[in-house]
Amino acid sequence: MKGRVGLYFILPAMLVLVLLIAYPVVYTGYLSVTDPKGALTGKNFVNALRPAVTKQAIFNTIYWVLGSIVFQVVLGTLTAILLNQQFPGRSIIRSITLIPWVVPGIVAATTWAWMFHTEFGIINYMLTSADVIPSPIGWLTDRNLVMPVLIAVNVWKLFPFVAIMVLAGLQAIPADLYEAAKVDGARFWDEVWFVTLPQVRPVLVAVTLLLVIWGLNSITLIYAMTGGGPANRTMITPIQIFHLAFDSFQFNQAAALSVMFFAVAIVIVAVYVRIVPQTPGAAK
Amino acid sequence: MKHLGSTAALAFAVSTLTFVAAAAAGEVVWWTPNWGQARAEKLAADFMKANPDITIKMEVTTSNGLPQRVLTALQSGAAPDIIEVQHPWVNGYAKAGLVLPLTDVIGDTSDYNKAAINYDTYEGQLYGWPYRVEGVAVIYNVDMFKAAGLDPAKPPQTWNEWMAAAKAMTKDGVYGLAMTGGGEVGNTVTRSVPLIWMNGGNVISDDQTKATVNSDEAVAAIKFYTDVYKNGYSPDSTLQNDGLAVRALFIAKKVAMYMGGQFDLPPIKAGDATINVGAFPIPHPDGKQTTAIVNGWSYVIPKDAKNPDDAKKLLAFLNTTENQGFFTDTFPARTSSMALPRFQDPVLKPFSGALATGRPAPNNPHWVDIGKALFDGIQRVLGGDQDAKASMDQANDEIQALLDS
Repeated sequence: MKGRVGLYFILPAMLVLVLLIAYPVVYTGYLSVTDPKGALTGKNFVNALRPAVTKQAIFNTIYWVLGSIVFQVVLGTLTAILLNQQFPGRSIIRSITLIPWVVPGIVAATTWAWMFHTEFGIINYMLTSADVIPSPIGWLTDRNLVMPVLIAVNVWKLFPFVAIMVLAGLQAIPADLYEAAKVDGARFWDEVWFVTLPQVRPVLVAVTLLLVIWGLNSITLIYAMTGGGPANRTMITPIQIFHLAFDSFQFNQAAALSVMFFAVAIVIVAVYVRIVPQTPGAAK
Repeated sequence: MKHLGSTAALAFAVSTLTFVAAAAAGEVVWWTPNWGQARAEKLAADFMKANPDITIKMEVTTSNGLPQRVLTALQSGAAPDIIEVQHPWVNGYAKAGLVLPLTDVIGDTSDYNKAAINYDTYEGQLYGWPYRVEGVAVIYNVDMFKAAGLDPAKPPQTWNEWMAAAKAMTKDGVYGLAMTGGGEVGNTVTRSVPLIWMNGGNVISDDQTKATVNSDEAVAAIKFYTDVYKNGYSPDSTLQNDGLAVRALFIAKKVAMYMGGQFDLPPIKAGDATINVGAFPIPHPDGKQTTAIVNGWSYVIPKDAKNPDDAKKLLAFLNTTENQGFFTDTFPARTSSMALPRFQDPVLKPFSGALATGRPAPNNPHWVDIGKALFDGIQRVLGGDQDAKASMDQANDEIQALLDS
């Protein structure tokens, strides 16, 4: 009886979960193996993989995720270590650091897109009027520049999150570890390397996993800044899926690509979760 | 226990109730874009006065993300009764069985722009009711024209003259001719495909089985289009400029000419009333004829409309000669509406001329993707990845794959 009462209470929540999560997942799977008329087919996978843009998008996605994460983690960790020091105005600086993460993604992306605009952008305006560069740079149109620029914005957006998580981890480190290190003659960087980093390793592992997932999912920033262009230079797989479904109306192909992307993402995450925390020497 | 059961049933009912929307009888839900809102409200009020038993509920849409929004509504089963959509979308909806045929409600189509009717026809039936048509011409700053020693009475007619004019006006931080090469994909398609057509090329063959965008004629047209930028006559930001962006540059007097529609004229006037604006038809290669893509808007009635009968009644009202002429932002799809005074302004002549010489884009369900392949190809040339030939070869392969799928 008691158990049943509980069941009734979670019923609405379960219903919502089934409707909003289970049904779409199952339906996507169904769409991926049927044609628009509902007949079973494997053509969607072939058609989704065939265009050159698919390969390019996969490469771009890897570039985007790896490039973003490396700088996010390094910059975030360094910021956290700095913010963990004692200095006047520390709490104000800590709050200010969080701003990029708090700004809504679409607002940040649109603002950056305008700042980087070749003609109207303030960045080119400042650089050209200070004679740093002779003529405007196509930050978002130069084929070699555009991805690094987007990665820089993504790093700017998310490093505060890393910083705040790592900072929380740092504050949980017992002070006597540092005292012991000092007694042994450790300097600042020795402390960072031998005490701090091993202690915050679990936090870094969890944060990196989140960053991988967010990187693989991210649409907002690139979509709002370049839409995947120029000439698909910044096309990543999630945006390609979006285009396939909502610009080209190829729902079945989009579903097929989603299913493959989902599988790859699961493998990456599973491998990461299994291997990384078990590296010898990890702080327990 | 019994009490618990009814509680659970209630909880179930409440959680599902929000998914069911009830429609009132005699109510027509009309999705109309924001630029025509004031005029739509006026027409709706007139209609409701004449038909007191019908209420019109308007929902104002914006162009950003509209195709996605319309498609979602059409597929959700909870669609409005009337939606305003662009002509090229209609065929896709008709093919997927998402909209109702309107052939017998429209009746005689001889008063309508041929290209618009062509867009809305699928397997012999009309699935959209065209009310707005437009074509592109070249908008230019008359004073810059004169300052460069050019005669505004004799605007360029051939590509060579056009390129020379662009060169003459490119100086002192002003660019002679702004091409689009970024942003909204459709803007660049609308501006580049006419050049391919007038040079005797095509994007796909007439029977829509073969991609033909790497023919010599098409490659030459794309080369001309991209050379304007490569020669330095189109702004540095060309790769991120769509129609709105080049208009902003024109208003800022950083651009002397660009391809646009007559819908650009009021915003230019509002932006800087001192600019002396002129227009001429898109120039053509030596010895060939000008042309343009005819674009525009149609009304559709979704298959899942709650009140299709009253919706048809409203459409018949909206599409009288007077009301089409009143409602359109550009030109009306009805020839008889073109006689109204508001379409007689001389500066509109190159734009209305484009309706006569213009052609519809092919009615192909993949047209959006085909346009994207062409757009990507143009971007590759502008960005220096490939030359026009190599880029169009790749675009041709991509388009052929679309036609084969």
